[in-house]
Amino acid sequence: MFASTASFFGTRMGGTSRRFGAVLMTLLGLLAMTFFIGRVMPLDPVLAVVGPDADSSTYDQVYQAMGLDRPLLVQFGYYLRDLAQGNFGNALLTGHPVIEDIARVFPATIELATLAIIFGVVLGLPLGVFAAANQGRMGDHLARVVTLFGYSTPIFWLGMMGLLVFYAWLGWAGGAGRIDLAYDGMVPSVTGMLLIDSAIAGDWEAFFSALKHILLPALILGLNSVAYISRMTRSFMLEQLSQEYILTAQVKGLSRRKVIWGHAFRNILVQLLTVVALAYGSLLEGAVLIETVFAWPGFGQYLTSSLLLGDMNAVMGCVLVIGFIFVGLNLLSDALYKVFDPRTR
Amino acid sequence: MIKPLPHLLAGLLAATLALGSVTTAQAKTPADQLIVGMSMINLLSLDPAAATGLDVSEVNANLYDMLLVQDAAAPDNLVPALAERWEISDDHKTLTFHLRSGVKFHSGNELTARDVIWSLQRVLKLNLALASTWKAYGFTADNVEQQIRATDDHTVVIELARPTDPMLVLNTLATSPSAFILDQKEVLKHAKNGDMGGAWLTTNAAGSGPFVLNAWRANDVILMTRFEEYWGGPAKLKRVVMRNMTESQSLRLMVERGDLDIARGMSAPDITALSRSDKVKTQTVQRGTLYYVALSTKQPMFADARVRKAVRSLIDYQGINDVVMPHYGTLNQRPMPLGLPARLDDPGYRLNVEEAKKLLAEAGYPDGFQTTIRVLAEPPFINIASSLQSTLAQAGIKARIVTGTGTQVYGSMRERTFDIIVGRGGGGAERHPHSSLRTLVYNPDNRDEAKLSNFQGWRTSFYSPELNALIEQAEVEPDKQRQMELYYQFQNLYDEQVGAIMPISQMTDTVVIYHDVVGYIGHSAATTRYKDVHKDR
Repeated sequence: MFASTASFFGTRMGGTSRRFGAVLMTLLGLLAMTFFIGRVMPLDPVLAVVGPDADSSTYDQVYQAMGLDRPLLVQFGYYLRDLAQGNFGNALLTGHPVIEDIARVFPATIELATLAIIFGVVLGLPLGVFAAANQGRMGDHLARVVTLFGYSTPIFWLGMMGLLVFYAWLGWAGGAGRIDLAYDGMVPSVTGMLLIDSAIAGDWEAFFSALKHILLPALILGLNSVAYISRMTRSFMLEQLSQEYILTAQVKGLSRRKVIWGHAFRNILVQLLTVVALAYGSLLEGAVLIETVFAWPGFGQYLTSSLLLGDMNAVMGCVLVIGFIFVGLNLLSDALYKVFDPRTR
Repeated sequence: MIKPLPHLLAGLLAATLALGSVTTAQAKTPADQLIVGMSMINLLSLDPAAATGLDVSEVNANLYDMLLVQDAAAPDNLVPALAERWEISDDHKTLTFHLRSGVKFHSGNELTARDVIWSLQRVLKLNLALASTWKAYGFTADNVEQQIRATDDHTVVIELARPTDPMLVLNTLATSPSAFILDQKEVLKHAKNGDMGGAWLTTNAAGSGPFVLNAWRANDVILMTRFEEYWGGPAKLKRVVMRNMTESQSLRLMVERGDLDIARGMSAPDITALSRSDKVKTQTVQRGTLYYVALSTKQPMFADARVRKAVRSLIDYQGINDVVMPHYGTLNQRPMPLGLPARLDDPGYRLNVEEAKKLLAEAGYPDGFQTTIRVLAEPPFINIASSLQSTLAQAGIKARIVTGTGTQVYGSMRERTFDIIVGRGGGGAERHPHSSLRTLVYNPDNRDEAKLSNFQGWRTSFYSPELNALIEQAEVEPDKQRQMELYYQFQNLYDEQVGAIMPISQMTDTVVIYHDVVGYIGHSAATTRYKDVHKDR
């Protein structure tokens, strides 16, 4: 008995260690690639700091202060050593520790991405089911035009049009930024997500101001996800609806609604998990174009600005975070598979 | 038909209408606050010794003071600030500043001469971005403590480290971001590892200016509040909020709706569209920097003055300034800013393809040649480069455009690995010809080993002992009339020798202002102050 228990736990722990090792190797590989690509890219972080008119003695001084005079492998070694101690280095863009910057900008992106994925799921799933259930008919074509529009239209243009119509003309949406200026800096920061923080503080005026500002960019980002989610849903549903058990269910006299939602849709939930997880992950990377149009101080803008400056500390920190997100989402999907599909337990 | 969809659409519509009615549109900014939309992408540090770029100058100009300032409405006039008065010795070697009493820093500390000398000495000791301005005057980290000193609590003496025009130094003190005066005690409280407070000052301020820094979230927002004990009287507005906004059309929509008071960095088409609106007004300020075409005379073809002259004849100055440059710049073909008494009128260069072909043939390039143009991938630079590419092609010069970021383009210029660059530069904030000529033309040592990368003349490898001599001579000439004549001589010789940097346009900066904002006067040195700005409501 003890031998089999030990064997069971040994297998489990072996599996966990292997998985942990795989995650670690993935992240290390990501970091190494990013680091070395960053160093050979024709970007000069020293010039970004000293300006184009600094003399050579200033340039050399800052070059050495940044450790760029060391061999690449040594630089990477120092970076890993600092990383192991929780030190992601300082950002050129802000002068602050990278970890603090990410902690500041990431909640803005989480808030936006989460609302966007909710829109994406709430709109995309029913649309995909509707299209599959009405395959070849007007409803299907209409749904596909909508999703094609969401997928093909440049998100930048959608953002600008959204601002023009809903902000400038109708006054329904807040303008650029996360909140009206009157409330800027007034909501005590707990999570960094203004909707939650203002609700915690009981400041409902600030809450509605933040809501008014976030709805439009979240909707536009969500439209992009609607396209992807609904097309995948349609595809999965079509596959299910062509199965024999669906015919059996219909012959048994079950209602159309029961057949589609109670049987076919349930069987694609597991696949949809992966689709939604991937869509959410890509939103969390930061939608830099939407963040630019709406002056949203999020992760995407931070990463892009750091990249253009050649600020590799910040870029590597961001890459690590993105790596963690995708690894985490994959692990979550795997765990949820077991909940939704008993066959995988 | 599946039922969920109509229910969903109905639900969304209801929610949208509900939200629209619940929240009230706040279309105007608060009456006692100034809301500015601008790009903060180049705002990397607030430390006056390290801060580069025009954006940070405007921020720091409101957090700090200088010894003296240029009058925003008439930049040729120097106006007392922290210094009530100053004297120049007869031999032009010593400047003495008498500070006003009773000036307080935001910390409550009193501003004395020791803060002034420490702030200026610090720039050289740290040897960061802004040190080169002072090194050009012969100051070094080793000599600065002898050259810049306090003789008592309210007297600062600057002994020039080498002969130069004292007016130049005064103008530098009035415009350079390195000349902002820091609260020494407050800064040193935060110093670490001998950095003289550098790390802390990246994101904090210790000044005496009309506003106090409350918060700076990088690439997000800067919040400043009025300093009630400001020596010049409190500002009219209580708070200034600067928001990071990089998208021109977003700025346009917000300023037109009144959700921004001032929008900076908008694109020319958006400014043009707004100039027809009665809700906003525009204000254009000339800066000292010049847009130019720079040739590397390290390339054999550009080492030949005839080829340079041919390229000069292939620049469509008029077309570029009429079509590309509105709201970005104004025609200037001289290597010094418009409006200076020593500046000659434009020499009247214009597009002349036939002349260019003739010159190229004489130089041995009857069929032209291949080359590259390095340029920033943003207007108006890319537009100037496109125009140049097409006019060069008319004479057989096939130019490939290579776009890049600022560090890529100017990096290649600093390393002297380019053919043609369309760029912008030239100092010029000091209202003195030397400021531009030194930056754009002066090249005392053309060897690669000299690495004089802060001189754009060196970067182009254009070396003229005669022009260098004229620059040096004019700088120290005490007689103003004779000095002007030397600058006239310089400009004529520069034309004759066909300098490698060919100015096209002088930079202008157009700001869009909501109609009820009053008292905003943009400064040519980018040290615009908000102290007297208010709203007419």
